[in-house]
Amino acid sequence: MVDDARANENTILQLEHKTGETFADFLERLGVDEDDVGDCFLNGKLVKPSDEIPDDVRIGLFPFNMRLLCGGQHLKGHGYTQSDVDVDYY
Amino acid sequence: MSKILRINMTDQSHKWENLPKKWKTLAGRAFTSTVVAEEVDPTFHPLREHNKFVISPGLLAGTTAPSSGRLSVGGKSPLTGGIKEANAGGLTATRLGKLGIRGIIIEGKPPEDDENWYSIIVSKDKVEIKQTNDYAGIGLYDLIDKIWEEYDSRPGIIGTGIIGQRLHLNAGVFGNNIENTDPSRYAGRGGLGAVLGSKRIVAIISDDSGCDRPEPEDEELFDTGRKKLVKALNDHPVTGRLKDEDGAPYGGLKNYGTNILQNIINEAGGLPVRNFAKGQWDGAAKISGEAVHELVDETDEKFGDKAEGTYGHPCHPGCIMACSNAVPDRETGKSIVAPLEYETAWALGSNCEIDNLKHVATLNRLCNDLGLDTIEAGNTIAMFMEAGEIDFGDGEAAIELLKEAYDPDSETGALVASGAKVAGEALGVDRIPVVKGQSLPAYDPRPIRGIGVTYATTPMGADHTAGYTIAAEILGIKGEVTDPREIKKADLSRTFQATTAYIDSSGYCLFIAFAILDNDDGFAGMTETVNGFLGTEVDVTDYGMHVLEIEREFNKKAGFTKEDDRLPEFFYNEELPPHNVAFDVPDEELDAVHG
Repeated sequence: MVDDARANENTILQLEHKTGETFADFLERLGVDEDDVGDCFLNGKLVKPSDEIPDDVRIGLFPFNMRLLCGGQHLKGHGYTQSDVDVDYY
Repeated sequence: MSKILRINMTDQSHKWENLPKKWKTLAGRAFTSTVVAEEVDPTFHPLREHNKFVISPGLLAGTTAPSSGRLSVGGKSPLTGGIKEANAGGLTATRLGKLGIRGIIIEGKPPEDDENWYSIIVSKDKVEIKQTNDYAGIGLYDLIDKIWEEYDSRPGIIGTGIIGQRLHLNAGVFGNNIENTDPSRYAGRGGLGAVLGSKRIVAIISDDSGCDRPEPEDEELFDTGRKKLVKALNDHPVTGRLKDEDGAPYGGLKNYGTNILQNIINEAGGLPVRNFAKGQWDGAAKISGEAVHELVDETDEKFGDKAEGTYGHPCHPGCIMACSNAVPDRETGKSIVAPLEYETAWALGSNCEIDNLKHVATLNRLCNDLGLDTIEAGNTIAMFMEAGEIDFGDGEAAIELLKEAYDPDSETGALVASGAKVAGEALGVDRIPVVKGQSLPAYDPRPIRGIGVTYATTPMGADHTAGYTIAAEILGIKGEVTDPREIKKADLSRTFQATTAYIDSSGYCLFIAFAILDNDDGFAGMTETVNGFLGTEVDVTDYGMHVLEIEREFNKKAGFTKEDDRLPEFFYNEELPPHNVAFDVPDEELDAVHG
């Protein structure tokens, strides 16, 4: 997605804001399959597919195998790292 | 039949004891904490003769259970003044497991006029307590080389370095890695290396030549469980195989190590930066697991067979998660340190605002060589920075500061080896991030409140591994918990602390947590291997809670009260950017953890 990206630097992509776009829509716009993402963040908070993205925010995208390291994936409620979300706590 | 080896350093004698029936199910942390609680007076000084140093391989160490070769060491902690268990990989647990040793209890100390240093060599049918003055006063990289030259059985080695021999408070217990290239398998926390030093012991060497694997009581149940757990671990995206069928990176830990967390926790705004002054910075990527992965690939290409960098490396025999690594020097391809863990990269990197990977790896190597716990060392360096002795971000000055610790006559060296509390107080710092005298690790308790509850209430002093509630908790940022059933932080932390105590006793690495908590088959695999090995059923929570009760009771007798189950004041009244939150868990909730 970003030319000359390196793992030892922040890879930054500036994108236009779209009114009413959810995180799921946003992934679609990027061409990223939802099975390929792990824990992702909206201004430092875990983001769910249905969250609407406001203007002027920072989104952190991580792949499926990068996630907060501990059990309790089912507590996250976003469904990206655990399909059987027992309870959406948040 | 498991046995206990009791060593008395007052006269360098030893005796074998049968494992008492009441201790049949105890191993690892459950064993060390039980022995310490039963045999050590909680009010006695940790560096005098009445403290004991207890070693116990996890229950399944030496068996074919996956990732089950962890070792526990315990005693009364010189750093916290309370009970302590520290845990590591390496070779020793597997060696002791095969030798049929459930625990080694080291007591007494040589008389004051005996200035010799000793080492203990344990092999099949033989125990030696030898004078090894040539092992003392040297760096640990040289020491492990020397021991493997003297013993050709590729023995497990644990022990204490220069720092522990001088009885400084931040002395970790080192262990050699599988290849014996690095003394990096640290049971680092709590200053237990100084307890060994106080008993004039440098190394404990274990040789399992001629020994078989321990036999499970119920082979069938054990095997059923083992297969389930192996599958759960291999299939999980965090603990799973290195590459997928298309050759793309798959398992997070194999590819990026524990340092996979540097960028994620930074993104979550919970990475403590500049001595817990902010929760995010631009330097994280430079010292991240991804950066190490890229550097390994780059040096492999450049130096071919001579390149020593690696990832997907196991820390103990039989580990299938293989989260360890070796950080190569970009210029030569030679290993600087193996491994660089997340907590270490954080403590010596982000917490000191050092974003140069080579500086961070070099600081890690110095800690390994001296015998220092890296988490405590990074926090201690940050105290020097906070006091203005050296600048935040100055990696070269931090390296020079740490090198002072080699000099027995350097007061600065003694201070840098004494942990954050002592150094911070001596330098007049008023933001000292410790609980019960032990430094906080790599997750800020303000945005990640559940881990804050664990830091405050675990009997161990601030410790992330005591009840690892990160994923369940990071969601609670900004207090937007809307669950009608209100998950209480206290319940969450208690459950995690109990499960952790069980895992720390089983010999399993704590990282099986992903596979067992996300996959019911994995959980069954864990319990079936433990129950199959013992031939009796053990309840995970009851077992873990019992360990916690023993530990808390010891601390109570040592003088700890509920006021010790608190975080330092600045976490309550300094908000952490970018989320701008303070630690707001009320005292009643902290006290409710253990009721």
